[in-house]
Amino acid sequence: MAQTLKGADVVIIGLGAAGGIACLPLAEAGLEVVGLEAGTWLTRRDFAPDEIRNNVRDWPQAVQKANHEVPTHRANASAPTTRAASHPMMNGVGGTTLHYWAQSWRLNPWDFKVVSETTRRYGRARIPAESTVEDWPFGYEELEPYYDKVEWETGVSGKAGNLKGELDLRGNVFEGPRQREYPMPPLRGTGFTDLMAAAARGLGWRPFPGPAQINSRTFQDRSPCMYHGYCNRGGCHVDAKNGTNVTTIPRAQKTGRFRVVTRAHVTTIDVDARGRVSGVRYVTDGQEFVQPARVVLLGAYVYENVRLLLLSKSKAFPDGLSNNHGQVGRHYLSHATGASVTALFPFDLNTWYGLPAQGVAVDDWADDNFDHAGLDFIGGGNLWIYSDRRPIQAANMNTFGRAPGWGAQWKAFIRQSADRANTAYLQKTTLPYEANYLDLDPEVRDPLGFPVLRITADYRDNERRIAAFIQDKMEAWYRAAGAIDIVRGPLGTMGPNTHAYGGTRMGDNPETNVVDRWGFSHEVPNLGILGGSVMGTSGAHNPTLTLQALAWRTADHLVRSWKSIAE
Amino acid sequence: MNRRHLLLVVVGTLAVVLAGEARAPQSLIVTSPAIKAGETIPRDYTADGRNISPPLQWSGAPASTREFAVICDDPDVPMPQPFVHWVIYKIPGTATGLPENIPIDPATPMPAEIAGAVQGTSGFRRPIYRGPAPPPGKPHHYHFRVYAIDAVLDLKPGLTKRELLEAIQGHIVGEGELVAIYERKPAPQP
Amino acid sequence: MISRRDLLKVAGAAAAGAATAGAERAALPAGAAPAAHPESLHEQSSPRRPLEALTADEADLLTAIVARLIPSDPSGPGAVEAGAVTYIDRSLAGPLSSSREAYRRGLAALERYATLSRGQPFRELSPTDQDSLLIDVETGGATASGAGFDGSSAAFFAMLKAHTWQGTFGDPYYGGNQGFVGWAMLGYPGVRTAVTPDDQRLGARPVPLRRSAYDTDLFNKA
Repeated sequence: MAQTLKGADVVIIGLGAAGGIACLPLAEAGLEVVGLEAGTWLTRRDFAPDEIRNNVRDWPQAVQKANHEVPTHRANASAPTTRAASHPMMNGVGGTTLHYWAQSWRLNPWDFKVVSETTRRYGRARIPAESTVEDWPFGYEELEPYYDKVEWETGVSGKAGNLKGELDLRGNVFEGPRQREYPMPPLRGTGFTDLMAAAARGLGWRPFPGPAQINSRTFQDRSPCMYHGYCNRGGCHVDAKNGTNVTTIPRAQKTGRFRVVTRAHVTTIDVDARGRVSGVRYVTDGQEFVQPARVVLLGAYVYENVRLLLLSKSKAFPDGLSNNHGQVGRHYLSHATGASVTALFPFDLNTWYGLPAQGVAVDDWADDNFDHAGLDFIGGGNLWIYSDRRPIQAANMNTFGRAPGWGAQWKAFIRQSADRANTAYLQKTTLPYEANYLDLDPEVRDPLGFPVLRITADYRDNERRIAAFIQDKMEAWYRAAGAIDIVRGPLGTMGPNTHAYGGTRMGDNPETNVVDRWGFSHEVPNLGILGGSVMGTSGAHNPTLTLQALAWRTADHLVRSWKSIAE
Repeated sequence: MNRRHLLLVVVGTLAVVLAGEARAPQSLIVTSPAIKAGETIPRDYTADGRNISPPLQWSGAPASTREFAVICDDPDVPMPQPFVHWVIYKIPGTATGLPENIPIDPATPMPAEIAGAVQGTSGFRRPIYRGPAPPPGKPHHYHFRVYAIDAVLDLKPGLTKRELLEAIQGHIVGEGELVAIYERKPAPQP
Repeated sequence: MISRRDLLKVAGAAAAGAATAGAERAALPAGAAPAAHPESLHEQSSPRRPLEALTADEADLLTAIVARLIPSDPSGPGAVEAGAVTYIDRSLAGPLSSSREAYRRGLAALERYATLSRGQPFRELSPTDQDSLLIDVETGGATASGAGFDGSSAAFFAMLKAHTWQGTFGDPYYGGNQGFVGWAMLGYPGVRTAVTPDDQRLGARPVPLRRSAYDTDLFNKA
């Protein structure tokens, strides 16, 4: 028998990167907010520099809900279905901001206007025919104040490259104009990243330190980064990583109007007779609860956002909540981060310490920062070199055909080369396509008996061509820095990814989009959706800062339009 | 370049082309003291045995032979291309075969009679011989193909079959093969 | 079984290693395990620590296998001395218990395969034949041999290799990487909770710190 709790103004599902942001402006505006989080609080004492715990065993001390709900994947509707062993995201207050890389990029202005800008510069025919890409309902300028807010409220380190139109080569000259500097200077360089930066300048490129949601100096009374090398899928032992667990969530709690409910496993969103959402159903230790609310903000990860909508069927929404136009699960994409490039150097790189956000970027080949007139693709990639190496990872390095994978010869190789390889992180534009989508798996179920999500998606020619182009650029960069051997990885396919987008896309047209320009459902006026699932393009950079800026903007809109949305 | 030189180059090129066309590779006779043509390969040369490389012998190589290469593959696999079991090349032109059990440890030197030989990458992604290990159901055919090459080419170790064949194209002056079979029976139910 | 000759080899290698380990030892916190030296190697090799999941036969076979995967040689100790088998055994009694059956079946199949293909139990084979056999397991050549591998022998090998690497290069807290032999093999300068700019210079050689993350009092144990 479900127990019905006292009603709230707003209930937020999921306290990760997005929900963990939205709670703050709502609580500060005087609304009573309840946050439902499947995981628990974790503290710096849980964040040991332990590769087995973090990278091998998926945080055994944390709630494993996501790992029981790993989506299945097939490349297309007639391809075989496979299922990965673990989920890329995690449960906990702060969600994946606990163990993410904390690269904190703004999208490039081009990413908001892929259709109109491509048409203007190269002609409409350059957009792949089978792509469902649309311009965002607004441009970069509209989101800039919210980018700024999140950067300053959570704490982002970086160097501006475009301050109100004034370009500065110490930062990213390709970024959109920003109203002010970052709140903190960039994370420091290392010997290796300095070497790579010099090599990039030698090629005529414009390298710069990337932005990170990590303290480069004391910020909001929290410590600067200690660069110890275990925050790639690890939490920060000094709280220098500015996840929502140490920034916006505790501040929202201090208002006295934000209640965090942990170990809340949300199963459905309830709908009343008028077709409005009335509350959220969740399970804790086998007991079912109903949390009524006047407004529901759905802020789980992309996969769980879509799954919860599809599982929440009602008279008014027989195919799932907010899905009467059949758009839930459509326009799905995940960032092309495969097609890696790994280099072998003839000297030690000393990258045993550091973190994935401590690095040097090149954006000369990203987005539309270069002329595509003679090329056969649109978009591009961000080249990212960083300092990161842990022992088990190092011992699993590619042997460049110089040794087998074990035995005496391998041992001789690893003794010499463990600190001599580097793999670039290459984020490349991905487009949404008609045949890429999310739905419920017809067979695989979670431990409560609900179907898991199914991903049907694969890359197309545009992504493959970008991948080959970017690998060429990256190889040239490594060679310029002295690399003696290069191995290229395959692009792979579109299985579960930490950079997933779409499924509840944002746009003015309700025929092709689930949420409006404010992040509220076209079909359900008091349901807002937060996270990467509202984004229609990927750009060539990590999504977190953008989806946080969007979450803040949606919360702001809710505060300003409370009467029309909630009543 | 003056006219006369140009003419010489053209004539020279023609001669090479003509020679190439006229020069169909001679047939080599390939045998093995351990494997009879068309018959079952003994277990020691398969993954059901010690999986050592088999001894091979050849004759009939033209005088212009400088090096030999050997490829073993299986066209009966359910794949578009034959599965490659062995790639070995830079075998000296003086050799008349390969001894049994080429070392699998690259630190161990090659036997004296084939000193300088190197191995390429097989379908098992290792630069060593790995013998038959077919899925059960039907006999598979294993082709041990020997190439006589009229040049000492600069070939790095670790080449795949395709890379090797591309590299020796135009230099093959002799060719022959030994074909034998191997079959695995379905496993008894444990 | 480790022969007398092998033991001598290990001892020689460790003695050679000890000559260069002075700096490491100087940096050791009081009470921490010292870098590998002959006595401790001998203790770790025999007798073995009490088993928690594996049978003695399985542990012997696994020891012989990991001795080929990361051998002890003149350059230094390998996976056996690191305690990779102890790591696997303890893990199978705990977080990796779902793999216990895969080890039981996989090791039995590997031993059957040794007898079927090479006529002797794995431990009786020459090192070359052991390597050849392991290559056949690794590449899937042993799959349809009738030895009884579940699915592909390559999957069993991949699991075994992954766990051996974890047990050689992971935090010693889990029972492997004893004497920090894995970290020494890689030249990993160790877990530091604060890293200076100088530690990240090209050419810098931070003094190796040999301690587990849990030797500090900063972290809850998993």
